Amino acid sequence: MVGILYYCIGETGYLSTLDWDGTSPTPTSVGLQNYQDILVDPIFWQAIWHTVIFFLVTFTAQTAIGFTFAALLHSKVKLATVYKVIVFTPVVIAPATMAPVFRQMFAADGQLNWFLDHVGLGFLSQPWLAQSSTAMPVIMFITVWNFTGLTFVLYYAAMGQIDPEVLEAARTDGASNLRTLVSIVWPGVRSTTVALAMLSVIGALKTFDIPYLVTIGGPNYATEFLGTYIYRISIPSAHVGYGAALSIMLLVLALLGAIAVAARSNRKDGESGV
Amino acid sequence: MLGSSRIWKRRPLGFAAAIMSGALVLAGCAGGGAPAQNGAQNADQGSADSGEITWWGWTPDAAPANAYIKAFNKVYPNIKVTFKKLTIDGYDAAIRPALASSVGPDVFDVAPGAANGSVDIYGVNAIDLKPAVEKVLGADWESKLAPIGVSSLKNGDKLAALSVGSVFSGTVWINKDLFDKYNLQPPTNYDEWKKVCATFKANNVGCFVQGAAQTAFNEDTLQAISNNVQPGVWEKALKKEVPWTDPTIVKALTLWKGLFDDGIMQEGALGTQQYPDANNGFMSGKYAMVMMGSWYMQYSTVEGMTAAISGAGVADPKPFTQLPIAFPDIAGTGNVGSLYGDADFGLAVNQKSKNIAAATTFATWLGTSAEGQQAVADILNDIPALVSAQPNWDTVKLVNPEAQKPALEKLIADAGKSDEPRLATVVADLQTAIGVASTTVAAGEATPEEAAATLQDTASKIK
Repeated sequence: MVGILYYCIGETGYLSTLDWDGTSPTPTSVGLQNYQDILVDPIFWQAIWHTVIFFLVTFTAQTAIGFTFAALLHSKVKLATVYKVIVFTPVVIAPATMAPVFRQMFAADGQLNWFLDHVGLGFLSQPWLAQSSTAMPVIMFITVWNFTGLTFVLYYAAMGQIDPEVLEAARTDGASNLRTLVSIVWPGVRSTTVALAMLSVIGALKTFDIPYLVTIGGPNYATEFLGTYIYRISIPSAHVGYGAALSIMLLVLALLGAIAVAARSNRKDGESGV
Repeated sequence: MLGSSRIWKRRPLGFAAAIMSGALVLAGCAGGGAPAQNGAQNADQGSADSGEITWWGWTPDAAPANAYIKAFNKVYPNIKVTFKKLTIDGYDAAIRPALASSVGPDVFDVAPGAANGSVDIYGVNAIDLKPAVEKVLGADWESKLAPIGVSSLKNGDKLAALSVGSVFSGTVWINKDLFDKYNLQPPTNYDEWKKVCATFKANNVGCFVQGAAQTAFNEDTLQAISNNVQPGVWEKALKKEVPWTDPTIVKALTLWKGLFDDGIMQEGALGTQQYPDANNGFMSGKYAMVMMGSWYMQYSTVEGMTAAISGAGVADPKPFTQLPIAFPDIAGTGNVGSLYGDADFGLAVNQKSKNIAAATTFATWLGTSAEGQQAVADILNDIPALVSAQPNWDTVKLVNPEAQKPALEKLIADAGKSDEPRLATVVADLQTAIGVASTTVAAGEATPEEAAATLQDTASKIK
C-alpha cells in the first residue's frame, strides 16, 4: 500500500515537469516551469487564501458547536440518543446527495429567501450562490453542517475519558459549570482538538466536492480551492502537467500544515510538563 | 487523558509516518496516468456483425440513444450495444482513464473544439474511420456528408470520428403556452423583451433563464449578441483576425451586462447552471424563455418533452408547445437570425477495443447509413450528417404540429445555410477566458472594456 502511494507521488512529481494534455503520446518536458508559473498564478494564491479563511472559520465553528453539543449531551438530557443521531446524521450523507438540495435552498428563488420573505426579513433576500460575497459563506455553512457531527462524536468520546473524580473535585471546590468546562473539560480534550485541527487543515486543503457540486468554484473563482482548481486545470483545461504541479504544491502544504499543528501541540505538551 | 500525546512523543517516527501517509493520499496519482505511446490498433478486430459493444457519451439522452440502438438492431440483430450516458461535466474525467486502460468503451463520443470530449485530445485514442466510410459510401464519401461534420472531427489526417449530426445555436426557445396565456408575442427587440419580462414577472413567472455559472453556455449568448451588433466579428476574433477588444465585442459585453441589469436575465443567474438548473426551470414551466440550440428540437415531440419534463422533477408531466425564435434584436441593428454550429458529437472507435469490427459497424451505420441517419433525423436531436436525410414529419409526433412544424423546418433549413463555427475553434484556455469575461462583467467586477482587454491578453498568449 505504502509502495503504491510512493509510486503515485513519484509519478505525479514526474508529470509535474511536463507540458501534457493527458492523452497525447508526445508530452513535452518543461522542467520546473510549471512551478514557476504557479508562483505567479493569481488563481492559485486566491485558492490558498480561500483555504486559509475556510479553515479558520469552519474549524472554529465546528469546534465550538461540536464541543458545546458534546458537553450538553454529557449532562442529563432527555432524548439524548435522538439528539446524537440528529447531530451525526449529516456526516454520513454524501455531498453529491445534498448538493442539489443546498443549490435549491440557496437559489435566488429558493427556500431560504422564501423563508426570509415570509418572516418579514425579505430585505435580506439575495442570490446567495451568485455573488462572490455570499457564495463562500454558504460553502462554509454547508461544510460546518456536514462535518460538525464528527467533531461532536470525537469530543463526546474524549469527554467520557475525563476522570470523574477530577470533575467531582472541581465541583467540591465550587467551580461553576462554565468554569468546569473552561478549566477542566477543555484542557482535558486538548489532544482531540489537536487531532481535529490537523484533520481540518488537511480537509481544507482537500476541499473539492462541496464547492464543485454547489458553485463549480464560482462565481468568478470566489469559491475556488486547490482541489477544484486542480480538477479544472487537469480535466476540462487538459493541462495535466500543471495540474500535477499544483498537486505537489498541495502535498507540500498539507505536510507543512500537519507538521506545524503537531509541532505546536508537542511544544505545548512540553511547556505543561505532560 | 493526554495519553495519546505521550505516545506521539515516544514514537516520533510513527507519527511522522502517519502524517506522510495522509499527505500522500492527498497528492497520490493526482495528475493521472503517465504518458504512454499508444499501441497499434488491435490485431484481432472481431466480427463485424456480431458481438457486444459498449458506447460511452454525454449525449444523446437515453431515449434517443435507445431509439438509435433499436433501429440499428433491426439491421444488425447480433450486435448488442450498451449505452452509458455520462454527465457533460463528468465526461472528460471518466473517459480519460477509461481510454488509457484496456477496458474502456468500444465506441465513445468526441466533439470538436475544447468542450468536453475534445477530438483534439481524445482523437489519438481512436482508429481512422476513413477506410470504413469509403467502403460504405464510396470514394466520393466526403460529398455525401455534411462538410462541417467531417473537417471538425479529424485528428491530424485521421478521420477520428463520424459525425452523427450537427447542432446549431443562436436560438431562444419559448414556452408558447405561457406566452399565449398572458397574451404576449415573442420579443423581437430589447424594449419588447423588457416588457415581456415585466409581464411575466408581474404574474410570478420567470422570463428568461440562463445558467451563467456554466460558462460554456455564456458563449452562445455572447456570440448571438455579437452577431446582432456586427455579424462575423466574433468568428474573426476566434480566428485572431480581429482583437477581442474590437468595439463590437465590447458592445456585446455591454449589452450582455444590460440583460442582468434590466431584469431580463433571472436573478441569481451567476449561481445557476445551464444543466440541470436552467433546463429544468424551462421544462417545469417556471421560466418562459431559455437560450438553447437546435438540440432542443428533440423536446418538441410528445415523447421527448414528456421525458424532459419528467426529468425536471414534475410528477405529472404535461407537454407544452415550445418554439425556437431568433435572438431578439437588442442592439437595434436589424442583424438577427444568426446561427452557428458544429458537429454535435462524433462516434469514435477505441483503438484498444477488442470488438473494433463490430464497433466500426455501429459507428458507420449511425453516421452514414440512410436508416441510421433517418433515425437521427426523426429524433430531432441533431441535424443529420448525411445530407440527404430529413425528418419524416409524418411519423414525428410533435406536441403542436401546426405551430411547431414550420418553425422546425425553418430552423433546419437556416442551419443548413450556416458555416459559422460555434465551439469548434475555441481552445480550452480561450473558453475559460470568455467565461471569466462574461461573469466578471455580469457581476460588475470588470467593465466591458477591462474584460475585453483581459480576454485579448489571454488570447494573445495562446499558441
